[in-house]
Amino acid sequence: MDVSINGARVLGYINLPLFGDVQITQTLTAALLVMIIITGVLAWLGSGLTVTGISRKQAVAEMGYNAIVNFVRGNMGPNFDYYIPLVFAIFATSIVSNLISLLGIWSPTADLMTELAWGLVVFVNITYHKIKSSGIKEYLRGFLDPIPILLPINIMSECFTPVSMACRHFGNILSGTVISALVYAALVAANNALFNLLGSSLYVAIIVAVVGIALFLIGKKLGKKLPLVLGIIAAILGVLAVFTNLGVNYPWLTIGIPAIPSLYFDWFGGCIQAFIFCTLTTLFIKQAAGD
Amino acid sequence: MDLYQSLVTVNPVTLIAQICNLFIQLFLAKKFFLDKVKAILDQRREAADKEITDAQAARAEAEEIKRTYEQNMREARAKADDLLLNAQRSANSRSEEIIGQAQQAAAQIKQKAAADIEMEKKKALNDAKNEISGLALAIAGKVVARELNAADQEQMIDRFINELGGAV
Repeated sequence: MDVSINGARVLGYINLPLFGDVQITQTLTAALLVMIIITGVLAWLGSGLTVTGISRKQAVAEMGYNAIVNFVRGNMGPNFDYYIPLVFAIFATSIVSNLISLLGIWSPTADLMTELAWGLVVFVNITYHKIKSSGIKEYLRGFLDPIPILLPINIMSECFTPVSMACRHFGNILSGTVISALVYAALVAANNALFNLLGSSLYVAIIVAVVGIALFLIGKKLGKKLPLVLGIIAAILGVLAVFTNLGVNYPWLTIGIPAIPSLYFDWFGGCIQAFIFCTLTTLFIKQAAGD
Repeated sequence: MDLYQSLVTVNPVTLIAQICNLFIQLFLAKKFFLDKVKAILDQRREAADKEITDAQAARAEAEEIKRTYEQNMREARAKADDLLLNAQRSANSRSEEIIGQAQQAAAQIKQKAAADIEMEKKKALNDAKNEISGLALAIAGKVVARELNAADQEQMIDRFINELGGAV
């Protein structure tokens, strides 16, 4: 079994004046796609709004708007309404990027640079609010607290804020990707072992299928669940083994089964990480503003 | 053979591009969604506020109208009372005036009647006097015209007195 997990595929190179040859990766194209999807959905939701007699679509739009406003106000208080677009943009991009991998498209959030970009933007805002609330002198003096010898550690802790935010998100998405790849590889291996065994001769395959059908019929007649289920499984395996023996080679087990870990790692993880990133964004900025 | 990046790569171009993407996304979301929904919600709030303000204004107006109406009613009642009082007073004075006038007129009539009676009396007396003097003249004439005997004289005097008595 040979599993290799790679980063984004490099689609080509572009020569830029300052950077030399730069890689154009799947991350950029997927990010563009994500942006188009989000903007399209939002533009659709935001069109044809009326003051009275609202449509179902507008109810959804207003619900979403109120949710993000309440989220920002709940975490930051009423004085930070100008952060609503930023938090909303990060949340929407994050969640769509995480879930787009379900369609088999490379997820932009599986590239550390995406989260690092968001983390740096948030970091700039945090620093701005720290300097604004206490003044540049106090801010710089803060690095010498409580004793000047801690200066390098203070600087590191400051710089690691965006890195830790980025890595938390990236790590969770990456773990999903890794687990998915491992599960997929394992299923392919299991598939090969199983069908090599069953499909080694046509007779074995046919016998398995017939036994399965017989079990299924018996289970149905007696009204018992166990023979029924076993019968269905054996019948399907037998039929697939017949196909394999006839030369139709496909990793049958990878159909459907990877959706089970994906339910947690892609759906749950994707949603929760978007939420966590936005919560940290709002809380850090609020903390930096200090009031 | 496709070329892949390694799993964790620091790629400045991707980083910068993703920062730009974030701001573009922010701008697009704001322009096409957040601002529009916000505008609609604000409009709805304003409309609701306006409804409330209008209702309050209408209520104040109604109360004002009611107050004016009550005041007018009060004034009208006072005026009516006043009018009634005036009318009564004027009617009283008028009736007193009329009575006074009537009494005055009655007194005048009485006075005039008394004067008339007096005058009639005087006139009657004058007439009697004239009559008497006329009779006296006539008697004197008759006496003068004929020689009177005693019997005649007596008779004549009786007649004279009778005539005089009938004339009075």
